[in-house]
This record gives sequence, structure tokens and C-alpha cells, in this order.
Amino acid sequence: MKKRNYILIAFLVIVVGAYTGYKYLYKNHRNIETEEASVKVEAKELVGMFASDNTERILNKTVEVTGVITEMDAQSATLDEAIQCTFNQLPQGLEINKKVTIKGRCIGYDDLFEIAKLDQCSLTHYP
Amino acid sequence: MKMKYIIVCLSFVFTTLVVAQEKYSTKNGTIVFEASVPSFEEVKAKNENVSAILNAETGDFASLVLINGFRFKVALMEEHFNENYMESSKFPKAIVKGKLKDFSASKLTEGTLNYTLEGTITIHGVTKPFETSISISKKGDSLLVESQFVLNPTDFNIEIPKIVSNKIAEEVHVSAKYSLLR
Repeated sequence: MKKRNYILIAFLVIVVGAYTGYKYLYKNHRNIETEEASVKVEAKELVGMFASDNTERILNKTVEVTGVITEMDAQSATLDEAIQCTFNQLPQGLEINKKVTIKGRCIGYDDLFEIAKLDQCSLTHYP
Repeated sequence: MKMKYIIVCLSFVFTTLVVAQEKYSTKNGTIVFEASVPSFEEVKAKNENVSAILNAETGDFASLVLINGFRFKVALMEEHFNENYMESSKFPKAIVKGKLKDFSASKLTEGTLNYTLEGTITIHGVTKPFETSISISKKGDSLLVESQFVLNPTDFNIEIPKIVSNKIAEEVHVSAKYSLLR
């Protein structure tokens, strides 16, 4: 009887251990769309935050930016010539000169074009 | 007096036109790298937000990639790549800057031409001399630019811990692809 209990406990430990190990190794990617934005600002302000060396608050964080669309291509929309927002799939209804609010993950500042870049974007608001 | 004013205005317009015309660029280039070892988990990531500018007048080329933008299949691998290996909060970007040898915009055709890029590469805060072959072909208004090269993480002070070193190849194969627009 005692021996059976030990075997059972050992078996449970192995199963739970394997499960948590697997969960840790193969955890899901972040879901930016459902994450709460840590910073909500105007497009130009976000770029200013890179200049003021305050990058820890925004780099690799989910941010929400508001601005007027100044440029568009197949995958992305640029707000106020300052932030390029890349979508997994470009939502319908985006147009140049429209003011929108977009949520995405801030991946950094691009010195070549002097813009900040967001990926995994979603549209949170447009009038 | 009025005439002078018009000439100044016109010359300004023309110079900006010329400047605008000689540069080809993109913000949506693609870089894929792979450091997989057979029979282990695939070590491969893709970044589709790569910037690049080619000055067609001089052959100057620059490309910038944000490290945080590399996406892996496995979320934990992405996390380790950023936090432990590339330290992307400290070194958020990698840059290639250089010049295409013997480049001439007028020679570009629909066929593929190969050039040598000579310059520098900066990764993880370390700048090294860099040389690679780049192929360019013209497709309508855009230039299709492609390059493949091999990098060695130890050259850039990127330490790979012993426990995982047998699962990550010593040589990292990088392939870059851009469609540059005027």
C-alpha cells in the first residue's frame, strides 16, 4: 500500500513538472491587442520620448498613439510623419489625412528616417 | 528683381527634385536569420520592418534594423534573444553603412547585377568592417536589392551560454531583401 502511494506521488510530480516545463518553454506570444497600453500619447510626443533618452518606458512596450495618417503602404500607416505602425493585416477604412488612434508594440527609433516604429498594431479608434 | 526671385525659386524647386530623385528607400525591408542546428529546435527569426536607403548618385547604402522587431516562432526564444544575447534595451538597433563599388544607376536593368558593398556593420554596440555581395535588379520604379551573408556572434561580443551553445549554430546565416522605391 505504502509503496503504491510513493509511486503515485512520484508519477504526479513528474506529470506536473513536465507540464509546467512545457508551459514555460512554449508559452504563448504576447497579445499586444489585448494588452493595456503603458503609454498613451500623440505621435510626435512618442518620438520626443526617444530624444529625451526615456526609452525604458516605451521600448518593447505596448503603446497607444494618436495622429493623422500621412503615408500608407500595403502593411503600414505612418502617423504625423513620425510613427510607422505596421499591422499584421491592414484594417479597412484607413485613409490619408484621417485622425486615428493605434495601439502597437514599440520596437524602437529609426535614425535613417527619423521615425519610431510599432509592430503588431491594431486600430483602437477612428472617427 | 522679380525675375531674380523667380529664378531663385525655380532653382530651389529643381534642386529638391534632383535630391528627391536620386534616393531609393524602404521602411519595410525583410531580414531573416537562421542559426539552427539539425534535430534541435529551429533558431530562426524574421523582421519585416527594416529600413534602407540607397543613394543612386553615389552608391551609398545604409540599412537599419530594430532588434526588438525580430519575431521567432517560440516566444521564450524571442525573449532570451532580446534580453540575454542582443541586450536590445541597451543596443536597440543594428546598422550597415557602406558604398557599392562601381555602382552606376544608369547601368541598372531588369536583369540582376552584382555589386560589392564595402563598409561597416554595427551590432550589439560593436562596429566591424563589413563586405558583402549585393544583387540589384530594376522592377518598374523600384529596385529589388538582395544579399546573403554569414555573421559570427562572438565577433560582436554576443555570448551564448554553454548550456544552449550546442543548440545554436556558431555561424548565423542572414538574408536581407528590400524593394526600394524612389
